[in-house]
Amino acid sequence: MSEQDTPPIRARATRYYDGLWGVIARYLKVPRGGPRLPSDPEESYEVFHPAPGFLRCLKLWFWLAFLLLDGALLAGWIVLFVAIPWLALLLLPVTLVLLVVPEFVIYVALHLRYDATWYLLTPRSLHLRRGIWVIQEMTITYANVQNLRVRSGPVQRLFGIEDVLVETAGAGAGTQDHPATISNQGLLEGVADASRIRDLIMARVRTQQGAGLGDEPSAGVVSPPHWSPQHLALLREIREVLATARLDT
Amino acid sequence: MPRPSIGHNDGCEIQEMASPSKHDPFDAAAIRRPVRALQTYYLIVSLLSGPAFPFVGIPLWIKYHTLRYRIDDEGVTMAWGYLFRKEILLTYRRIQDIHVRRNVIHRWLGLASVAVQTASGTAGAEMTIVGILEPDRLRDYLYLKMRGARHVTQPRTEEEADEEALDLLRQIRDLLRDREGGRGHGT
Repeated sequence: MSEQDTPPIRARATRYYDGLWGVIARYLKVPRGGPRLPSDPEESYEVFHPAPGFLRCLKLWFWLAFLLLDGALLAGWIVLFVAIPWLALLLLPVTLVLLVVPEFVIYVALHLRYDATWYLLTPRSLHLRRGIWVIQEMTITYANVQNLRVRSGPVQRLFGIEDVLVETAGAGAGTQDHPATISNQGLLEGVADASRIRDLIMARVRTQQGAGLGDEPSAGVVSPPHWSPQHLALLREIREVLATARLDT
Repeated sequence: MPRPSIGHNDGCEIQEMASPSKHDPFDAAAIRRPVRALQTYYLIVSLLSGPAFPFVGIPLWIKYHTLRYRIDDEGVTMAWGYLFRKEILLTYRRIQDIHVRRNVIHRWLGLASVAVQTASGTAGAEMTIVGILEPDRLRDYLYLKMRGARHVTQPRTEEEADEEALDLLRQIRDLLRDREGGRGHGT
């Protein structure tokens, strides 16, 4: 709505939005910065939001729903205006409020959802955070990743984004109505460089010697001893020592 | 708070537990009981449940008062219950993922529920640690204990094993030589 108009209005909208974030951060105690994990100082890590295409994708669905619902509401009001004009005029303010307010709230909520979604990738682990009312955080190490899924629908591809699902052997179906809370899956929604993330994680998973079920990587992987010339020379010496010893007795 | 005069170490421990600040090293082993804020949280939850207040509130009240943690070098143990006792034990190495959930009331009270999963087949998280202040630091602590969070140096490489074998053989040779030398002197 207002964001697609002239720049001053956009600047003002941004200012109001920042103010809203200030209120949320202060009273709902939502952290504004990205997450951190303890790591080695020399290890690089990246903290990022979903791709901007993800927000545009959400907005597309929003505008479609907006046109559909508000069109129906407006059509209903016009029918009522033709049939019972005085009642329609009486209901006009209510209709106008219903036309604008929920959409405005949802539009802002989309932005909030986008800004509250954080992904943190370190060379060893993955950390996800999302949510305003309920903040959900998930931490997994690549050592425990069992498999990866990359999926995208036609609309998502139009915006150049994909979903990356990282699955561990962790338990559970979670709640089905909330796919983001399925407990053994880390969902990186709407990332633009899914193939890079996929390669990064899979490269780590492939080099793992364990099955990611708590087994020690070093257990059972003992290389067979191979004898160098030095060993052989030493063994020969021992044999000679023993041979002379037998002669002595 | 007055510092108790019995032993220097005890005093430090009590002070750390009473006022944890960002600069103290996080001492997970000091966590034995949930903090008082959990009682407040449970009270709010049971009040929000309305007419079901006694059915929700009493089990939560019992849980708060009987909940015990033991966090050691190997794993976490959590036990609670009065009539029906429950005890959960897990080792750090088998942790699959860590979930931290905070709703608005949690955040106002500084709490969180830290759910730890292993690869067992139950639907929910195996262990949900509740009533901990500074859940982020507990999360970091558990994360660093998790498999794959740190670079594990292989205990011995091939060269080291070879070196050790060579050393062993050398020792055998020397021992045999000594014995032979000693016996030669004796006779």
